[in-house]
Amino acid sequence: MEVILRGIAIAIEVILLAVIAYSFLSGAWLTVFDLGVSARYKKILTVVFIIVGCLVVVFFIAHLTFLYPAV
Amino acid sequence: MSLSELFWAGQEVYITEIFLPIIIGVLVFVPLLVLLFGFGFLRRYRSWTAGKAEDRSGHWFTRLATTLAVAVGNFRILSWSELYPGIMKTLIFWGSALLILGKIVRLFSYVVGLTVPPQSVFLYASLASEIGGVLIIIGGLMAVFRRYILKPARLDTKSEDTLVFIWVAIIILTGFMTKGYRIATSDVGSPTDWAMWSPVGYLFSHIFPTFMTEAKNEILVWHRALIHTIPAFALLAYMWVNRSRLQHIIWAPLNVFFRSLKPKGALTPIALESAETFGVSKIEDFTWKQLLDLDACVRCGRCQDACPAYFSGKALNPKKVIQDLKTHLNEVYPIPLSRKPIESRKDMVTEVITEEVIWDCTTCRACQQACPLYIEHVDKIIDMRRHLAMERAQLPETAQGALKSLGTRFHPFRGTTLARTDWTQGLEIKLLSEDSNIDMLYWVGCTAALDDRNVKVAKATARILQAAGINFGILGDEENCCGDPARRMGDEYLFQTICQSNIEILNSYNVKKIVTSCPHCFNGLKHEYPQFGGNFEVIHHSQLIAELLRNGKLALGRLDGKRVAYHDSCYLGRYNDIYREPREVLKAIGGIKKVELARSGARSFCCGGGGGHIWMEEDPAKRVNIRRVEQVIEAKVDLVATACPYCLTMFEDGLKAKEVEESIKARDISELVAELLSPSPQEVTD
Repeated sequence: MEVILRGIAIAIEVILLAVIAYSFLSGAWLTVFDLGVSARYKKILTVVFIIVGCLVVVFFIAHLTFLYPAV
Repeated sequence: MSLSELFWAGQEVYITEIFLPIIIGVLVFVPLLVLLFGFGFLRRYRSWTAGKAEDRSGHWFTRLATTLAVAVGNFRILSWSELYPGIMKTLIFWGSALLILGKIVRLFSYVVGLTVPPQSVFLYASLASEIGGVLIIIGGLMAVFRRYILKPARLDTKSEDTLVFIWVAIIILTGFMTKGYRIATSDVGSPTDWAMWSPVGYLFSHIFPTFMTEAKNEILVWHRALIHTIPAFALLAYMWVNRSRLQHIIWAPLNVFFRSLKPKGALTPIALESAETFGVSKIEDFTWKQLLDLDACVRCGRCQDACPAYFSGKALNPKKVIQDLKTHLNEVYPIPLSRKPIESRKDMVTEVITEEVIWDCTTCRACQQACPLYIEHVDKIIDMRRHLAMERAQLPETAQGALKSLGTRFHPFRGTTLARTDWTQGLEIKLLSEDSNIDMLYWVGCTAALDDRNVKVAKATARILQAAGINFGILGDEENCCGDPARRMGDEYLFQTICQSNIEILNSYNVKKIVTSCPHCFNGLKHEYPQFGGNFEVIHHSQLIAELLRNGKLALGRLDGKRVAYHDSCYLGRYNDIYREPREVLKAIGGIKKVELARSGARSFCCGGGGGHIWMEEDPAKRVNIRRVEQVIEAKVDLVATACPYCLTMFEDGLKAKEVEESIKARDISELVAELLSPSPQEVTD
């Protein structure tokens, strides 16, 4: 039961952090083009940001799984 | 110490160990945010100041009062016709205001000793923040429902719109979570006042599992505080580094502050002798205020919904005009310190905004009336017309014909066989050239003098003035066009020539008071002639007739059983706020059943004749007057009354096109009044 509770708590935290990471990365993506980067780099930058986002989420999952206090 | 004080005092450990560092963090972040705000402001300021100078100073109190009314009171944002989006915006605004106010009080509360023991202001600030958060959630959900489920046609959704919804939602949610977790880990019994002062946080506190050790709880409180604080600061940073729509929080009130306080119908003259160019051909030819308009626009789409041309299927979309100009401005000034050279830009007046869009406008001002932020659409379109007309000679062919006639024959009616005084036959009307001893000049206008249908209006008006015993006269052949068609079609040179000539003639007869039956002449004589030294007291015939009826100088008969609607003409209503007097005139007619059209008053739907359109060829499938006639048909009226010769012409044309001219009549209010005064109505109403 405690393991399940901990799992749910970690999942909620990961979702929250993933949404925050999405907000930051989307904001950065929009800002990069607003600051003058050419539109021809849109595809490559999108791929880069998606990869970074995925890495961040994996990090959060690993970090929380290892360090989230036991209930 | 009471339970309540004990509870709040127990928070001190969290305040000193957790929130003090946050306060310090804030004191580091805030100067950074100020710098980013400076960057964002200067970036926009640079592009505005690339435009021409314009004096928008003076009347500071009026400007401040309007700004507060719109920004704080949500005046013009919240209205009966925009109830859902208005309430939505009001909830989000007031929610944000309460949230921020509460936060600021609580942030500095420890420093100034408001928490131990807790002072009332600290508790109320806590409650205010909670209420603010709830209001934002409700407003936000309304906005999400509207944008993604209802999907009104006037809203276009970009990726930033979705991002802002998500970002703000996560900030609000984590804020409540932080509070909730703090309450859950509180080590002082079960106090009762959390529910009262932090009701939402109290509800959230029931969700979280807590830990046996204080250290673990502390870590998670810290964690939650960080996942709330960092996204909040990041959003503030984003909105200033990026040319984000969220910047409207500052630009919109700024735009309202600098709104135009000149008469609504008065276009800005060109100083022809000193001007190097005429009109606007590149983005820098706009004034700084016109460029500020582009940044204030939040894409609400109210102007699009209000535009009769857009409604009729034409290419013009006022929202798109503003947004396309904004995109063009951002392309010309893409990054700080850079500017795209003119040779590598798109042509603003044919490619960014097409000629079709520029000429589709009837200058009805419905867009400006609908806009809650006082953005000035019409001036921009006229400025582009000025460039096309005066520098490129690119006008629709029929418009060119009307202007040519105006220049040579001093009226725009090319095919007319009438002379300016033909309508006076048998009416014994004084000509100023024969006897200038008058109390009032009746300015007939070109349409009433030279158009077969509208001469009946001139006769009716003259009959009314005679019945009221007014000592009036007309200029006759000395009367030239007021110049409105020239100005609205972009030929400012022709307008100024005509205007100055007319002023000379009027002054030569020492004319002080003018009555006219044409709202376009009325607007020009009243608001635009003073720009060139022509100062006269000008009234519209609806105002005069209403006054005469009020003073008992006229008495009217009955028109039993008729359902009558009044169509508000744009240049009388929206331009000059004259709505009441024509209705007073109709009210004085006994027996009629007065009907209001679906779009009336300030929201009246244009007849399609303004902006030179009465002389332009149109696609039959996209005629604005047909749309208006359809609205009249829906209202099931017997008669549509108007107070404008353009409207009368467009209605006659539209009623014939819809084949209802036998069942629905169009009349000027002067014709109705004269008919009910005169013992021989036939010559007026046939």
